[in-house]
Amino acid sequence: MSSPAAVGPRAWPLVLFAALGLLPVWFGEFQTVQINLWLISGLLALSLDLVWGFAGIFSFGQAAFFGLAGYVYGASSINLIGLTHETVTAILAGVIVAGAAAASLGYFMFYGGVGSVYVAVITLAVTLILLTFMGSTAGTQYAVGKALLGGYNGMTNIPSLTVGTPWGPEIALSITQTYLAVVIVAALVYLGVVLLLRRPFGRIITAIRENELRTELLGYDTRAYKLTVFALGGAIAGLAGTFYAAWGNFINPAVFSLQQSAVIVIWVLVGGRGTLLGPFLGAALVQYLSGVLGAISAGEPWEVLGNTFTPPVWMATFFQAPLAVGLLLIIIVLLFPSGLIPALAFRLRRRPSASEDRESTEGVLQAGAGLPATPEAGSEVVVETQEVVKAFGGLRAVNRVSLSLTAGELRCLIGPNGAGKSTFFNLLCGRYSPTAGRIYYRGDEITSLLPHQRARRGISIKLQIPSIYDHFTVQENLWLAAYARERDPTATERRVAEVLEEIGLPRRAFVAAGQLSHGEKQWLEIGMVVAMRPTMILLDEPTAGMTRDEVEATVALVRRLGSQATVVVVEHDMSFVRALNARVTVFHQGRIFAEGSVEELRHNEAVMDIYLGRHQLSSPLKA
Amino acid sequence: MRPDEILVVALGMTVNIAVLMIVALGLSVIFGMMRVINLAHGELIMLGAYTVLTVTRATGSIWLGMAAAPVAVALVGVAVERLIIRFLYGRILDTMLATWGLSLVLVQGVTILFGPATQGLATPLGNFSVGAYSASWYGFFLIVMAALLLAVTYLVFKRTRYGLEARAATQLPEMAAALGVDAARSHMITFAFGAALAGTAGALIAPVTGVVPTIGLAFIARAFMTVIVGGPAVLLGTTAAAALLGIFENLVSYLATPFLGQGALLAVAILILRVLPSGLSGGRQRGV
Repeated sequence: MSSPAAVGPRAWPLVLFAALGLLPVWFGEFQTVQINLWLISGLLALSLDLVWGFAGIFSFGQAAFFGLAGYVYGASSINLIGLTHETVTAILAGVIVAGAAAASLGYFMFYGGVGSVYVAVITLAVTLILLTFMGSTAGTQYAVGKALLGGYNGMTNIPSLTVGTPWGPEIALSITQTYLAVVIVAALVYLGVVLLLRRPFGRIITAIRENELRTELLGYDTRAYKLTVFALGGAIAGLAGTFYAAWGNFINPAVFSLQQSAVIVIWVLVGGRGTLLGPFLGAALVQYLSGVLGAISAGEPWEVLGNTFTPPVWMATFFQAPLAVGLLLIIIVLLFPSGLIPALAFRLRRRPSASEDRESTEGVLQAGAGLPATPEAGSEVVVETQEVVKAFGGLRAVNRVSLSLTAGELRCLIGPNGAGKSTFFNLLCGRYSPTAGRIYYRGDEITSLLPHQRARRGISIKLQIPSIYDHFTVQENLWLAAYARERDPTATERRVAEVLEEIGLPRRAFVAAGQLSHGEKQWLEIGMVVAMRPTMILLDEPTAGMTRDEVEATVALVRRLGSQATVVVVEHDMSFVRALNARVTVFHQGRIFAEGSVEELRHNEAVMDIYLGRHQLSSPLKA
Repeated sequence: MRPDEILVVALGMTVNIAVLMIVALGLSVIFGMMRVINLAHGELIMLGAYTVLTVTRATGSIWLGMAAAPVAVALVGVAVERLIIRFLYGRILDTMLATWGLSLVLVQGVTILFGPATQGLATPLGNFSVGAYSASWYGFFLIVMAALLLAVTYLVFKRTRYGLEARAATQLPEMAAALGVDAARSHMITFAFGAALAGTAGALIAPVTGVVPTIGLAFIARAFMTVIVGGPAVLLGTTAAAALLGIFENLVSYLATPFLGQGALLAVAILILRVLPSGLSGGRQRGV
């Protein structure tokens, strides 16, 4: 849908920021203060959009990083302004603390392998615990130097944005100057995010959003990418938080409230997630509307955990009208899950005519030219498993399997359902770690290496159910695979073109992968495997769902692959196995049952027994 | 420390752990059985508390109020499931957002109806003395109720036809449907049951904390942490996590300050998840 290509090199958003900078010419100071708040909110919303809309990490924690940085700004500026005569240091401190907090939380979540729903709940719980935590700091013993934390009443008398030098003047910025500073910083952050997303980094984080498993199997350390985005998002939220504290000269624990977190999500949902200007538009629109609504109920005292608190009028507009906010959230989720502004814009825009290239690809596959055949079939052992076991509870899906494969070997694994073939593949590629036993790859032990580390060493897998990026084009899919290996845009483009030829899909290059036929999806995934220039290729049921012609073409493709790398194929289709004419290993009940050529195995009574089920049928009678 | 002090402190901690279990149970049932994270859980608790308040004021009997709370909140649960949740099955984040919106609406709605101030309820059952200290019988009652609620939940899921169907729908939805389990009905009942547990929780804590629209906030973060740390097995996980987190939080709160107790809870929870990403009961199958 919104591949990074959608973040095009467009100049008009910057024109928009420039226009924003001119607004004080027309508006009075009161409106300028208002618009400034919208812009700060837009920055906060941008941080969530980066993390959620682009990287697919749903975080309730942006309010926490925002608030935390606000407190850090408050505490450092109150203490330092007398010495340094400026608050830029305090802004940096806030941003750094927020970014570091996000990074450490992200480390625990992403390196711990916590699921995406848990990420949402953990970030939420952290935010709420900060609410109670900061709320329990009433009293003079809770102070950072001269700055009182102040419990639910918050920290007061926070300096406005101030520039100066330790020895020179101290200039507190005027309302208009503060506003201009925020406009410039927001524009720079916006530009920075746009540029970042246009780099390969942007494509990789959206790839993680679309299909994290595949991205990992391509050799990207998805944990590190997620951590980076999350820390960056935390830092941007923190930047907004420091501006907010400076803007209102005040911060209190209400920034950690559920409602505040909800409002950020609404800004992004209204503006449309995955669009970078959307968060700014959403924040402005929602706050304008809630300002109108809020005028009714402004100034009403409210209570948090037994403390009555009377908000000043400006706060009432920021945290306004929970009833309206809540209803809006429910309605948006039920009716416009992809965002309000995008939904309206979609109505206005004409759908691009669906002139989808549905040309027949029959026979195209033959066109693929052979790639340079590198490895000489030899006796070098590429992979070796020693007595590997994988147990699920009491079931030993793989039971003490020792197998070794040499360079350039083509091997088929066959066996009845549940024999342990796919589990064995998952042990080889690193999705499962073995319960016991060791795995060696080119002499190095890789038993405890993660999937992306094995992928980088040259182990590449096509999964049983095609695992591709449905919303990306064929070309983008291959690009991600090739870039994982090449790490250079030019070489990557060249590799993509080669592989497109190899798998016979050059005419489908710009079609979304989700629209391919089943057989084409299989080829695309094989193509992604090939694009990584692996030394060992694992293909799990490559011909599932293919027509007879497609199967024939796949035989040719797999045999070509066999000339370049060690290839292991799990397959049920015996005619395919026969056509490959490779050595066959038979799995049965988690063990290696037999090994040999197809011809040898055809004359092996025991193999025929287990394959035809005679074994299972007759054993109860024998017993 | 004198023995009577130790006894009173230990009793207080056990009560806190029981409260944590009571508060987390409904959330855990709805998440464990339906994969729905109900962010309005705290507000369902709040509705339970207001039911007790209203019924007690009308009839003079707090016990009648406690009996009414699960029924009233279960009805709210049915309405919520029919009007919002059922459109969002399989979209976990969207359910979170919608129930979150619901929580804001409920807090504000109740604030408009009942006002923002805390309203007290007399704690029933009176006190008894432990050496130089005194403790309330109601604390004991809460411990008993925690055990009773766990037992009821166990029996409902293991001994009733509905429970069997709900567990089937959790583990293999397609197969359950093929065998004629009406998943929609089973989900509705599960949500109502979870809501009833939340209502009971609200009713039980109301005399201790007082009744206020934001009552859910005080518990919701801890309840979520308990559910996550607990992992996929609802009863086992919730009990273990509540005990573990409760002990840490209370010990630190007692030895240092409640402020640090909150921090300790968070730190322990995150550390456990770093080591056991799918929670304490992570090795077990999803279900009861």
